[in-house]
Amino acid sequence: MRIDPDKCMGCMECADFCPVDCILERDGGAYIDEDECVECGVCARAGVCPNEAIYMPEEATQWPRVIRAQYSDPGVQHPAMNQGGRGTEEMKTNDVTGRFRRGEFGMAFEFGRPGVGTRMTEIEKVLKVLVAMDVELEQNNPVFLLVDDVKAGTLKPEVLREKVLSAILEFKIRDEQLEAVVKKLQPVLAELDTVVSWGLATRFAEDGTLPVRARLQALGVPARSNAKINMGMGRPIVEA
Amino acid sequence: MSHALHRHGTVEQLQNDYTFYARTSRYVNREGCGPKLRKILSIVLEEKSLVNFGSSHSGKSYEAGLNPEEYATTLDKAYGVAGCFSDKEAVRSILKKLKEADTGISIVISGLIDEVVKIAKDVGLKPHTAFLSLGVHGKRAVLPEDRVLEITTMCGHHQVGTRLTKAVVERVKAGKMTPEAGSHLLAQPCPCGIFNTRRSTAILASYRKEASAGSVG
Repeated sequence: MRIDPDKCMGCMECADFCPVDCILERDGGAYIDEDECVECGVCARAGVCPNEAIYMPEEATQWPRVIRAQYSDPGVQHPAMNQGGRGTEEMKTNDVTGRFRRGEFGMAFEFGRPGVGTRMTEIEKVLKVLVAMDVELEQNNPVFLLVDDVKAGTLKPEVLREKVLSAILEFKIRDEQLEAVVKKLQPVLAELDTVVSWGLATRFAEDGTLPVRARLQALGVPARSNAKINMGMGRPIVEA
Repeated sequence: MSHALHRHGTVEQLQNDYTFYARTSRYVNREGCGPKLRKILSIVLEEKSLVNFGSSHSGKSYEAGLNPEEYATTLDKAYGVAGCFSDKEAVRSILKKLKEADTGISIVISGLIDEVVKIAKDVGLKPHTAFLSLGVHGKRAVLPEDRVLEITTMCGHHQVGTRLTKAVVERVKAGKMTPEAGSHLLAQPCPCGIFNTRRSTAILASYRKEASAGSVG
């Protein structure tokens, strides 16, 4: 996003709305640190600028900077995914897609959340570790579209310095891999130059319990008391 | 929206915070979903403890002025409908009605696991899949205080930022803004309608109460 200096009156009303705090004051007016801006558009949509000085410049719609809006503005569709938001159905439709079955766990790393944002370099650091392990990367996911070499775990070089509000790296593991995968990834996440919200998708057992919670507790990554729960109301249902 | 499992807060606070999603799959049932989503929306709108609703495709939530009737007309080929409730009895009520309606659209509830599972059993549903939060990892030192995160993580796409939250907190603490007005302002950037303004009002009121006690003391 950019602020037209000829229109800006320096009221700074827009600054509070920036989720990554990159609207600054200079020479009596507001300006946007475009290296830090994630193109979420919240500042413009807030409608607080009396002179409508905030706009998206043409270069923000061009590759590779265009990915900033795709991963930061929920109203912008991810190409090829045909959906906005973070671009993944993850477990929300698992009752009809069967994406995660019994004996499997889905894992999702939401980079940059909550509220920090991330450079794509941080995602590549984890991706390089993942591809050296026996995990199944989710291909119906916007981040997968940015992969350059899936065997090496590298992203397209031109996107690495791009900053986004959040991006979700998804993969699937077998039940017996849980302990090894968690132990391998914990130190990798700890070294990142951003935050990561870590999610694990699991089927309920036949008796309605979640046996994985005890295993996660033992691993030192206890599940929080709240979660997202697919209620099993989709049809036709995938029971396996 | 993929972030709703990570809503920050204690068990006590989360007892008043449940989010709802009716979600179509682009692989299975998005085609022709309009009438089903409109039926689901009508069930959701009947609930008195519905706090907010919307969807990223709508561009704004009910708190930001989304008109329910106009919104209903946008639901053909939509991802779905989202909303939030301030008590678990509303969740029980809508799940009962949705079970009878049998639309075949996936329904997801975000909230306290044990409470949601118990409600599911009570109404004869068999929960299918859980998305558990294993917390925030990495550079945690840059995170704001917990009460700020309790507010900002209620927006599924983090359109409600730390700076706006802190600015509203300061205005409420100074008595320049009511907790209700602060919540309404905070909800504006979140288009999905899962920003629970009733919960944020309670959090802002706690800041105000502390500030008042401090000024008296």
